[in-house]
Amino acid sequence: MRVNRIGWLLALGLSLAVPGSAQAPKPVKIGAINSTSGAEAPIGETINNGYILALEDLKKKGINVELIREDDTGKPQISMSAMEKLATRDSVAGVVGPYTSACANAISRLAEKYRVPLLVPVASKEDITRQGLTWLFRLSATTDDYAAILIDMALKVGKPKSIAIINENTDFGTSAAKSAKAFSESHGLKVVAEEAYAKGSPDYRSTLTKIKGQNPDLVFMVSYVADGILLMRQAREVGLQPQAFLGAGAGFGNPAFAKETDISNNVFSSTQWTEEVTWPGAKEFAKRYREKFNKEPVYHAANAYASLMIMGETAAKAGGDREKIRAALDSGKWNGIMGEVKFQDYDGYTNQNKHPMLVEQIRNGKFETVWPATFTKNKPFYPFPKWK
Amino acid sequence: MTIFLQSLISGILVGGVYALIGIGLTLVFGVMRIINFAHGDIMMVGMYLTYMLFSMVGIDPFLSVLITFPLMYLLGVFLQKVLINRVLDALPQNQILLTIGLGLIMSNTMMLAFTSDYKILSTTYSSSSFSVGGSSISQPLTISFLITAAITGGLYWFLVKTNTGQAIRATAQDREAAQLMGINVKRMSGIAFGLGAGLAGTAGALIAPTYYIFPQVGSVFTLKAFVITVLGGMGSVVGAAIGGIIVGVSESMGAVYISSGWKDVVVYVIFLLVLLFKPAGLLGKSRM
Repeated sequence: MRVNRIGWLLALGLSLAVPGSAQAPKPVKIGAINSTSGAEAPIGETINNGYILALEDLKKKGINVELIREDDTGKPQISMSAMEKLATRDSVAGVVGPYTSACANAISRLAEKYRVPLLVPVASKEDITRQGLTWLFRLSATTDDYAAILIDMALKVGKPKSIAIINENTDFGTSAAKSAKAFSESHGLKVVAEEAYAKGSPDYRSTLTKIKGQNPDLVFMVSYVADGILLMRQAREVGLQPQAFLGAGAGFGNPAFAKETDISNNVFSSTQWTEEVTWPGAKEFAKRYREKFNKEPVYHAANAYASLMIMGETAAKAGGDREKIRAALDSGKWNGIMGEVKFQDYDGYTNQNKHPMLVEQIRNGKFETVWPATFTKNKPFYPFPKWK
Repeated sequence: MTIFLQSLISGILVGGVYALIGIGLTLVFGVMRIINFAHGDIMMVGMYLTYMLFSMVGIDPFLSVLITFPLMYLLGVFLQKVLINRVLDALPQNQILLTIGLGLIMSNTMMLAFTSDYKILSTTYSSSSFSVGGSSISQPLTISFLITAAITGGLYWFLVKTNTGQAIRATAQDREAAQLMGINVKRMSGIAFGLGAGLAGTAGALIAPTYYIFPQVGSVFTLKAFVITVLGGMGSVVGAAIGGIIVGVSESMGAVYISSGWKDVVVYVIFLLVLLFKPAGLLGKSRM
């Protein structure tokens, strides 16, 4: 009799416990490496905003994600220790990030070593997915794409003959400059100057004067946000007057740059996402982003959002099993605010998403999508007007 | 030739601001034998102060030096009395820890208060320039160079001619002997650190219209200040002024005639050569 009663109590306890655990499934742990302090912090913040919206949407879908955030301050060595911590101590199911190409490149082999699925949202140095790594996936377009869309547009709307390339000497900058050079040469543009600079210097006037002496038709620039502003200010000072200033995303796609209308108007920037795209959910995302953060949505946020959505859904479906997640990322296909995402092997790339690029032009402090014609009716304004 | 002149002129103009940063650091080292690792961060505070005065009250960045300098001087005196003074006789590593810690606290406080966003101070003349013989000269940099020259001249006069200035130099030469001669060395240390902070803050104000402001901006300039100070001879005000110009010009020349990515290499090669042939720096006296 007594045994029976205990049995009843146990049964009662179990019946209470089971539905309870069904309502709140064990959260799936995902790591996020990002640059939220240091020089890259403004863009790191944008990426984090994308993650915040993704977490909300995952929750709506009944997926409970525990996001473990690590700050790498933009330094590859800190990114590496963050990856080691996430892979071993936190035993996460997968990792999204990091922001910069230098950091992503540094941790790419660690993902392989610890067998942790790594999804790179925005780092675009092409080598990252050219190492034949099987645990690394990249949603972001590559620097080849950044350079190609801009120069292609310039060639179609104008008749440029020469190009000067200015880039910061980071992984992203060097890689984009190399892409721009290769694309220019194969399309009959003469590369008249190549200048790689160390970022953070207050004075680029002498470099710009040297470039002005070559009188290039196009000036292609790769910089993060602060140097982008300085370069354009000083270009105005020394009177550098090409047919177009082409900025390869990053700093030139940041609202802080656009706000400086004196020097930012009519500058082109390549981007992976704008709210004018026809991909599902993009317009709602832009609207929500503006309401929640009171800032303009940019591609960094959209890339981050899509990456965490994919990683979260995949990880939950695979029950947090790393090997299953890897297989699911490898074979899966998604359609969301970044359009169709599929990690493919092509042209020497492994697990690389083929992402179509867009070009924006700054008009009165606002980004306007101007290229390609499949996404927008706006026409690029070319050539660049005379400096006042 | 135009390119040569252009890079020479912009090198000298930027070098002027470097000089001001270096002078502040060298003054503090000369008097207290403390290497102030928070120097760049003090400069960063000056930049934010200028930014706030400009965006909230509408005071021109160059005019705001009149407010920034005294405020930063007071901050310097306060830091010296409350914190630096306690480690004057401590081991060098403790002094280093203290100043590095101070710098971290300052930059992180600024990050809490202003977020990590870049602040750009856009005046009407931020990217205006005038042309002399084919090379364009930045208007704001020219103004800041003139202010720097005036301040350096004034400081030199203060150190050489006034009683307080002579007392500061005496303290720098030999702290104990100065004390025996009746000089209040503690007061002199306070004044020296105040001046150092004031000069760093002024440099921040002067560079603000042409540069960008964010909480971690200090580290770039702390490093530059060291190179300038050691190049000119530690503790030598004139040496720091010359060192600043040398660094500015060699950066600019290196960028044009070698490559932008190599300009720091040019600076450090010159730096190493000076250390090799004149270990005490250009105008430094051997102390050991």
